[in-house]
Amino acid sequence: MSEVIRFKNVDKIYKLNKKPNFNNILKVIFNKKLKEEKKVLDNISFSINKGEKVAFLGKNGSGKSTILKLITEVLYPTSGEIYVNGKVNALLELKSGFELEFTGRENIYLKGILLGLSKKEIKELEDKIIEFADIGEYIDYPIQKYSSGMRARLGFSIAVNIEPEILVIDEALSVGDEEFKNKCLKKINDITENKNVTLVLVTHSFEMAKEFCNRGIVIQKGKIIYDGNIDSSIEVYKNSINKN
Amino acid sequence: MNEILKEHKQNFSKIFKLARIDLIKTYGGSVLGWLWAIIKPAITIFVYWFTIEIGLRSGKIRNGYPNFLWLIASTVPWFYFSEMIVGGASSIRSYNYLVTKMKFPVSTIPTIVNVSKFMIHIILEIIVIILFLINGYKIDIYFFQIIFYMLLSFMFFEMWSIFSSMIGAISKDFVNLVKSITVMVFWMSGIIWDINSISQPWIKKILWFNPIVYLVNGYRNCFINKVFFFEEPKQLIIFLTFLVILTVMAGISYKKLKKVIPDVL
Repeated sequence: MSEVIRFKNVDKIYKLNKKPNFNNILKVIFNKKLKEEKKVLDNISFSINKGEKVAFLGKNGSGKSTILKLITEVLYPTSGEIYVNGKVNALLELKSGFELEFTGRENIYLKGILLGLSKKEIKELEDKIIEFADIGEYIDYPIQKYSSGMRARLGFSIAVNIEPEILVIDEALSVGDEEFKNKCLKKINDITENKNVTLVLVTHSFEMAKEFCNRGIVIQKGKIIYDGNIDSSIEVYKNSINKN
Repeated sequence: MNEILKEHKQNFSKIFKLARIDLIKTYGGSVLGWLWAIIKPAITIFVYWFTIEIGLRSGKIRNGYPNFLWLIASTVPWFYFSEMIVGGASSIRSYNYLVTKMKFPVSTIPTIVNVSKFMIHIILEIIVIILFLINGYKIDIYFFQIIFYMLLSFMFFEMWSIFSSMIGAISKDFVNLVKSITVMVFWMSGIIWDINSISQPWIKKILWFNPIVYLVNGYRNCFINKVFFFEEPKQLIIFLTFLVILTVMAGISYKKLKKVIPDVL
């Protein structure tokens, strides 16, 4: 089993949490300490092997999404080490990250270029993505005209059709109608079952966690309080809610 | 600095593709589309010409050239400069989804914007040359210096945009400050007047420390003044010093702010 994700003593502190003022900005530039720093991750260590399906459980604001953003290398850790090996594809905030004035088709190209695909590769994916999104003639309309459900459909289709090695999903499936949701779940199932794909999932739905994952990590106030198989970690999480 | 170079090397073709998309984004949404890249400067130049020749009645000829050609030689570069002063500072901000939604080499974002604006600049300069030819002026060796000054401008605004976009990403006030200062830079940098015509020597000396003055005067050297760049060595050295300082500042701001920017955007 080879390791694809490793966090070693990772801390994450958000600077400039409130509205930035000149004083704070100068302090950031000159590396001074700030009064209102917020520690969202506290000494997080874990490692995930290739092919593992892991669910992160925790309340809102516990730091789950920050961990996902660190895995996708959007954010940098304040201290500690992060090692990620493999093409990460993240389903984070599906509705955003489009050029609103461009059509759906143009946005597919844009995404493809951003991910470093060649024109030929994008062309091959285009039909697959459009077919999966199933938004009809709207594909040639500017994204501005899309409903939020349609944006999510397109975002999801792009993300899952670009074959990932590590799939990161953050509450992405709470949008769209029932039919499309099932289609998405099936697609995720296909991706994660057929290939040697690693799945990292953040969800509040125990059902989904149980269906897709065999391991659970419970986060509370920026710390890992449990790391084990999925059933017992759901128990731990339930207990921790009840206690408060 | 090393890292910035590395990011650019690795994403070389991506930068050009995205610069093209940036152009499409700027001009694609309207009915007249690309024509706006010419209409907007044309209107501005007309206004300057009207003010100077009709309003201020300062004569039809300047340095032996019709006012209109004289103005074109120096205002066309200014369009690129002004776009870059503001566009550079807000470049990361306007592309924030590249920073916060995916893994993307942040330092290439200002370059994408710069390349996109520079394309338009090249087209406009070609039009300027054509206009000079139509009006009966012949291409001489001074014309070819334009390549030198365009490269200097590109480098200067590349460094400016890396530096300013990093600061601009964490501080909106900075972007607003830059926007307000642009008007001042326009009037102070000898775009529609000639630094060589200033009589007070000490004012002239101070003005040479403005890099924009140097660049605009450079473009004018090619078309109007017919001066070689090595005939003004002192000014060139001052400019290059500024360029080096700006490069160092760009490197520092990148190094310090790279990891903070995704947190605050």
